[in-house]
Amino acid sequence: MRFSVTHTTTYAYVATASLSQMKVHLRPRECERQTVIAHVLDVDPAPERIGVRQDYFGNSVSFVTIQEPHQVLHVRARSEVVVHAPAAPAPTPALEEVRDHVRNDRRAACLEAYQFVFSSPRVQRSEALAAYARGSFPAGRPLLEAARELTHRIHDDFVYERGATDVATPVAEAFARRHGVCQDFAHVMVGCLRSLGLPARYVSGYLHTRRGAPRPPWVGADESHAWVSVYALGAGWVDFDPTNDVMVGEEHVTVGWGRDYGDVAPLRGVTIGGGEHTMDVTVDCEPVAVAPAVVTS
Amino acid sequence: MTGAAPAARGWGDYPEVGGHYDEARDESRRLRPHWRDVLEAIAGFGPREAERRWQQGRRLLRENGVTYNVYGDPRGMNRPWELDPIPLVVPAQEWREIEAAIVQRAMLLNRIVADVYGPQQLLADGLLPPELVFGHPGFLRPCHGIVPPDGTFLHVYAADLARSQDGRWWVIADRTQAPAGAGYALENRAVLRRTLPDLFRDCRVRRHAAFFESYRAMLGGLAPHTDVPRVVLLTSGPYNETYFEHAYLARHLGIALVEGGDLLVRDQRLFLKTLTGLPRVDVVLRRQDDVFCDPLELYQESTLGVPGLVQAVRAGNVAVANALGSGVTESAAWMAFLETLCPPLLGESLRMPSIATWWCGQEGPRQTVLDNLDRLVVKPTFPARGGEPIFGAQLDGDGRAALAARIASRPDEFVAQEQVSLSVAPVWQDGGLAPRRVTMRVYAVASGDRYKVLPGGLTRVSHSDDGLVVSMQSGGGSKDTWVLGDDGRDAAVVRRAEERVPSVRRGDAALPSRVADNLFWLGRYLERVDFQTRAGRRLLIAIADDPAAAGQSLPAAAVVLPALGVTGKAGGRSLDATERTVIATLFDRSVETSLRSTAASLHRVAWLTRDRLSLDAWRVLSRLSAQLDGSGDAQPPRLAVAIERLDQAVVTIASFSGMVREAMPRGFGWVFLEAGRRIERGLATVELLRSVVHPRRDDEAAVFDAVLDIVASTMTYRSRYQAPVHAALVIDLLLLDDSHPRSVAYQLRRIAAAVERLPQRADSPGDGVARAVARPSARIQIADLDELVAWDAAGRRAHLEALLQQIDSDLRTLSDTLTRVFLTHAVPLVAW
Repeated sequence: MRFSVTHTTTYAYVATASLSQMKVHLRPRECERQTVIAHVLDVDPAPERIGVRQDYFGNSVSFVTIQEPHQVLHVRARSEVVVHAPAAPAPTPALEEVRDHVRNDRRAACLEAYQFVFSSPRVQRSEALAAYARGSFPAGRPLLEAARELTHRIHDDFVYERGATDVATPVAEAFARRHGVCQDFAHVMVGCLRSLGLPARYVSGYLHTRRGAPRPPWVGADESHAWVSVYALGAGWVDFDPTNDVMVGEEHVTVGWGRDYGDVAPLRGVTIGGGEHTMDVTVDCEPVAVAPAVVTS
Repeated sequence: MTGAAPAARGWGDYPEVGGHYDEARDESRRLRPHWRDVLEAIAGFGPREAERRWQQGRRLLRENGVTYNVYGDPRGMNRPWELDPIPLVVPAQEWREIEAAIVQRAMLLNRIVADVYGPQQLLADGLLPPELVFGHPGFLRPCHGIVPPDGTFLHVYAADLARSQDGRWWVIADRTQAPAGAGYALENRAVLRRTLPDLFRDCRVRRHAAFFESYRAMLGGLAPHTDVPRVVLLTSGPYNETYFEHAYLARHLGIALVEGGDLLVRDQRLFLKTLTGLPRVDVVLRRQDDVFCDPLELYQESTLGVPGLVQAVRAGNVAVANALGSGVTESAAWMAFLETLCPPLLGESLRMPSIATWWCGQEGPRQTVLDNLDRLVVKPTFPARGGEPIFGAQLDGDGRAALAARIASRPDEFVAQEQVSLSVAPVWQDGGLAPRRVTMRVYAVASGDRYKVLPGGLTRVSHSDDGLVVSMQSGGGSKDTWVLGDDGRDAAVVRRAEERVPSVRRGDAALPSRVADNLFWLGRYLERVDFQTRAGRRLLIAIADDPAAAGQSLPAAAVVLPALGVTGKAGGRSLDATERTVIATLFDRSVETSLRSTAASLHRVAWLTRDRLSLDAWRVLSRLSAQLDGSGDAQPPRLAVAIERLDQAVVTIASFSGMVREAMPRGFGWVFLEAGRRIERGLATVELLRSVVHPRRDDEAAVFDAVLDIVASTMTYRSRYQAPVHAALVIDLLLLDDSHPRSVAYQLRRIAAAVERLPQRADSPGDGVARAVARPSARIQIADLDELVAWDAAGRRAHLEALLQQIDSDLRTLSDTLTRVFLTHAVPLVAW
């Protein structure tokens, strides 16, 4: 499917900020099942500079500096992407095979995957997470089937609750309290998989939900969304959305991936002055009709 | 320094130290040849001379303010540095081997870090377990791909060495993040050269100077685009455990000491926030951990960092030493792999072994660890994630089983090392020699594609003879390290360096705003302490001299009671009670406005500006604290003693004040120091006059006589008038006479002259500084003495009271205005 995504963030400060510096992960990532047609980043007031580079994980990251005094800051990212449904996954090996393989194989693809096995700043591996996850991973069960069940269990066991957590909530807390938003769902599942020794990525992106569809609308459609990708050796990376209890399909737009939220936070910034601020975010992810919309800056 | 020397004992009581290498004596308990000169000379001093020298050493350390901050120490921050008066002696030949091993190890680790932040070929080749990189909290992914100048990541490296029973040296830890302690080594050397000057020369001890010359040259050479680089030392501030050293090292290397808040990144370039603008910074010597250096790309919650620093580094606009990310090799687990990595990377085998290390992430080593838990030390692979070393020998069977289970469930997270049997060296203890375990930290700096090693280093000493851990945090001491065999080569290097004349620079335009702020308050506290000391002294002398000692009336000098922090109805007390209250208050730290508290504030601000004060000035200030505290008795001193202490303190303050003023160049730093002093002196005089003009008193002459003494104007008055004290004349002298250095008018004139030197602030025209300076001066100029001293119908000097009140308010406004216009550097960063 073809989508037009507009992600708008507005910061309002109580005092005047003299300098704002931002690190922005808003450009959808080119990958196997996704092509980026266009992407424009608008910032108001106009930034001194925008520097774009690839981060360690291959995501596009922009550095924005605003040096004029300001009290309101708008950041709007408009993207147009074509998303294909993932190929039907190949038969997958069992947990033990994947775990032992990534631990011992030093070829590039495996090393690339192996780095997602370890604790990261927001997702610490733990015995508690491993114990929870083990229920879905009896010896020899194909990874895909087990991960799908884990997705389902997390969806059922955890309560989606806005405001109960924030971006700094550690995974252990979200896990203990069995609640959170899509970031927490994703962190918990990533933590479960890694605690078993499996490579798992945190994926940041958007979600389109069809209005009037027979099923209830998905959660996470009006904001940044997050899900999980697990490495299944020959079957490659397979994505699961624990917030909505689905395999990721052609309605999930991928922006980027990393070890946890901190690696791919949509906007992260530092301001000199400004004092307290409020933030307002809207995301609009709509399918594009036959003729491509023209995106200009 | 530790211990006293009532009667020097020799080796008589020196216990046998089985199982450890004895640095000073061989197997037959004969002195090793390289120790003979040192120990025989010390034995030859005799108890008296030894004690004299050690006391001198202790005094130097105390007066130089050599401290080490111990977290959570009940004695507070700034624990005095412990230095043993006997050096650790290393012969020339042995040192050459150590030196070669350290150079090799620094090169090896540098190659490894370069690979980790580059191609990661060592991982692909299976030479290095990926777990040690990917699982390391110090592997900073945003820094991957950044290639520093000349490919050097480790500009400074240190290794902790220990000697096993068979006499071999082993590396027990590698320091690649931001190695600490070289400054303490410098200070230890400075002290021992003063206490053992002849011995130092006769032993031909190798000097430190050439190493620090290389250090300086290395930093300057890192500057990307300029021949006249600005180099700064980035500290996390006075609360860091080794802040003393940061300041000391910055001064020794001749570079500015800055905190993250002093720096700013714009257009991917790094700048220093100064009074005059934003000069560019080319090189950062980093003494805070890299993760805290940039809240935008690294640890977001850091308030110590400089947002955008990683981008500036990535753009090649600034060099950081050590490179951001270089802490990745700080884990005991790495030590298990250096032996294997050395041949493929350097084409030679490792010269000095690491202490035997097994990383539990590998099956074979893990089994070895589980089989030998009772004799190993088990450590977390990544201490940043928490955990302390566990000594297997100290666990019982259950404890070992529990540990084994933890290792089995998360093997990657554990590493085990052999317990080192450290060598022992003699320390001076209770007037004789005692054995203590030692480790030696050796330093290297990059020099071209090799490294230069500091001949010597920091030797650390266990705090008791059975301590398992040698660390400054746990209360150990230190020694100077004497490498023998000076042959003049080091001196030649220094001479050559000295022959290069740098281009002339004047002024201190690059003064960080934060430092200007601290100097301003240094000036204010200095004057306040001076005022309170004089006031206290005058009052106590008056009490002592009172002819009617048993009388009930307070002396005229009692007008200073409020200025001394004495509250309540002191006036109603008996003389005895007043005496006790005044003495107790003066020396009481818990009274916020007492002399002791003000002196503590002075000390604190001076501490913050240490890198601007000469060592001598600092020593004088340390003496002031000692004088005010006396011998540290819990009881307040008796009257005569209190007067004596204040008397000494007045002289000490004058000496400190003179040294600071004389030594400081007349740049912006001086302007703020001067402005602070003058404002406070003006405020103190105004405060004193206000306390005597109302209510009207019968003993006016006596009161004004006390006032003259307190503001050090008695001599001036007498030479000018040769007459008894008269209120009108005193008011003229202290308020209006701008030729008298103690008058308010004079302070205002000096403030105006100082402020004139400040830069115009293009960004804040009409900032009000000029007005704030002119206002009180104008009031003084148009004041009429007759009007001021005249009594009105209500029995008051209303004009004088009003003028004093206005000037008090004007001076406070001026202080606020200067702060607002020039010193508002402390705008907090908000990270989101």
